[in-house]
Amino acid sequence: MFTLFAAEAGEGGGGLVFPSIGNLVEWAPYFGEGTIFEFNKIGLISMLAMLIPTVMFLLAKKDMVPAGLQNIVESTVEFVEDQVVMSAIGAEGKKYLPLLLTIFMFVFWGNIFEVIPTFQMPANARMANPVILALVAWATFIGVGIKAQGFGGFMKSSLFPPGVPKALYILVTPIEFLSTFLLRPFGLAVRLFANMLAGHILLVTFGVLCIALWQASPLVIVLPFSFATLVGLTGFEVMVSLIQAFVFSLLTAVYISLSLHPHH
Amino acid sequence: MGSSVLLFAAEAEEAANPILPTLNEMFYGAIAFGLLFVLVKFVLLPPVQATREARASQIRGDLDAAERARSQAGSAATEVDDQLAGVKAEAAAVVDAARAEAEAERATIIGAAEAEAASIRSAAEAEIETARAEAMSGATASVAELAADAASRVMNRPIDLASAQPVVDRYLSNPN
Repeated sequence: MFTLFAAEAGEGGGGLVFPSIGNLVEWAPYFGEGTIFEFNKIGLISMLAMLIPTVMFLLAKKDMVPAGLQNIVESTVEFVEDQVVMSAIGAEGKKYLPLLLTIFMFVFWGNIFEVIPTFQMPANARMANPVILALVAWATFIGVGIKAQGFGGFMKSSLFPPGVPKALYILVTPIEFLSTFLLRPFGLAVRLFANMLAGHILLVTFGVLCIALWQASPLVIVLPFSFATLVGLTGFEVMVSLIQAFVFSLLTAVYISLSLHPHH
Repeated sequence: MGSSVLLFAAEAEEAANPILPTLNEMFYGAIAFGLLFVLVKFVLLPPVQATREARASQIRGDLDAAERARSQAGSAATEVDDQLAGVKAEAAAVVDAARAEAEAERATIIGAAEAEAASIRSAAEAEIETARAEAMSGATASVAELAADAASRVMNRPIDLASAQPVVDRYLSNPN
């Protein structure tokens, strides 16, 4: 259950106490407590990150001259197609547009709840969704590589890069294995998670600071600056939400492209 | 100044590692992502792509039509230019023909006028010649008559005019 609580600045008074990291990212269950079906704010945001784009696509008109919601929907599709698929893979990557568009929208809507009042929590500041997305990306680029080059060809191109002296494969092959099969998905997940968690902590920090200053006195001279920073960081988080969605989908596309064209 | 601060937070029951993913959140994340992917692939994206393709096709068609219209306009302009050139050439030919005809007519008229003038001149010359001959003839007769009269007075006897006439004629024809 969510509560407002007074963070005591020590029994003797003085000082500012920030909530613990657990208080920032862990949420009480709405139902199913203690089971795999335990549904909390992160689950709710995940469902909304699925429902909102679905409703937007369904409500968007299909006119020849787009306007309003149709513009947003088509611009999203066009952005992913041009800036992610075409730039990273090329025309043959268009069959991956549904997956990459899904990743882009799911990450963005999971992130943007950071700045939506009453939610103020990005789903991707928890590790669950980034792990799921990274596993999908991981399985996809491996599957695409095996399909395009065959299992042997994919393993060879992944683990034995051409142009390296054979003796160096003793050193290079384990590094390539770690890089391709472990660090890629790990990097995808951690990059998204860490960026969103950092943004969330920043906003909470300045939010707490503003509240503390307001409680001390509305006339505290630094209060406007703290509040302006909070507003600016909120706008910054909107941008970060979009950039992280773009980066995640673009890197997935790059990995797919590397599986399709190992020597490029 | 109060020593406590109001903060937003959740009541965490236990201090689990906040970084590690939890199964329940992964479960709902996987369900939501999987559902969204299926919807995007089979329900949401196809009509949007169809609309975009139809629009692109229409734009291509409109551009092609505009290009065809432009090409046709160019052809029409060329045709008009050709027709204009033909008309100009035809007009020049008509003007040239008219000029040649006028020139021929002028030559004919001038020829006729010159012929008429020559005829008039010839007639006038003939008339003058006749008048001169008549005058000459009259003068000869008078001279013969005067000469015969003068000779008769000098000689004091009559001179036959008929016998004097050849002398006068010979003298007038060769006065030296």
